Amino acid sequence: MKRDPIILIVVAMVISIMLVFGIRRVHHAGVVPPGKLQGKAAPDFSLPSTTGQTMKLSDFQGKAVLLNFWATWCEPCKVEMPWFVDLQKKYGPQGLQVVGVAMDDASPKDIAAFAQKMGVNYPILIGKEEVGAQYGGIDYLPSTFYISRDGKIIEHAFGLVSRSEIEANIEKALGQQVATK
Amino acid sequence: MTNRILCAGILLLMSPAAQPQDLGRGRAWVSMVPAALTNIDRGQPGTVNLQFRVARGFHINSNQPKQDYLKKTELKLDAPTDIVIGRITYPPGQDRSFPFAPKDKLSVYSGDFEVGVTVRPLHGVLPTKYAIHGVLKYQACDNAACYPPKQLPVTFEVKVLKGQGPRKKNPAQSPHAHS
Repeated sequence: MKRDPIILIVVAMVISIMLVFGIRRVHHAGVVPPGKLQGKAAPDFSLPSTTGQTMKLSDFQGKAVLLNFWATWCEPCKVEMPWFVDLQKKYGPQGLQVVGVAMDDASPKDIAAFAQKMGVNYPILIGKEEVGAQYGGIDYLPSTFYISRDGKIIEHAFGLVSRSEIEANIEKALGQQVATK
Repeated sequence: MTNRILCAGILLLMSPAAQPQDLGRGRAWVSMVPAALTNIDRGQPGTVNLQFRVARGFHINSNQPKQDYLKKTELKLDAPTDIVIGRITYPPGQDRSFPFAPKDKLSVYSGDFEVGVTVRPLHGVLPTKYAIHGVLKYQACDNAACYPPKQLPVTFEVKVLKGQGPRKKNPAQSPHAHS
């Protein structure tokens, strides 16, 4: 069978490029694609809070956790924060814990002042790139992960979503009902 | 058969589903239009206008955002010895509100914008081409999400001309001259 050498060269080049892209993605700072985290155990981490304590995700074992990555420079994040305050009040007694992780280069003091101004009633942790990488790299803010009482990621949302969507995901994490999409 | 493999490979490579985690990381929301070479006389200030383009659907904060916690757009340049970077002129931001906060106005750049850089080669500089490097610091958002701060590499060239050289004082024209 006669083969056109130009086509063979082009095929070889395409395969080489795909391999290079694939290798780069696999080795990209150990980042796990967020989609692959769904249904898996939420990666544990230990981070300092704005109050000076060190907190682990595993400290909230047995609770449903809304893990929100945000930053002071992120305007859409500011929209969600008052909702999280309300939802923490509403669902806290049922076992919800909202946890904010600031992916910010502002000082912990400034982050704390910002959170206080926003009336935040849940812990704010000072984020690190490594923790972001565990959760898929956090390329978008806000990024929110919903963790069930048994510590599994059951849902995630990138960017600002509606309050009703957040509430449905909280209820799903609490195991009260399966949200329909 | 070979053609099918070729098509499948190209489609796979181009497919958005192939690179979901690369959407934010590594992507630049702002690009620079290559700057034309600017001629500037030795010892004289000249202005280089740098054109930038914000990707469609995105915005970045202006140089003077309305809130101090927002990341301002800022050009940082490193000039060669004997080339002085003077005033950097930013355009005023567009006051816009966005779906995530319809009642608030943000001062932003979107689409194309221009930054002016005053460059003054010192008298003693060799008349030739000089490359000036730097970065444009910015932080982009769209209507629902924000992306980590970025630095766009910036490069432009100026050609320093001999010009008229340093002006010599003419004592006859000086109001302070005494005969």
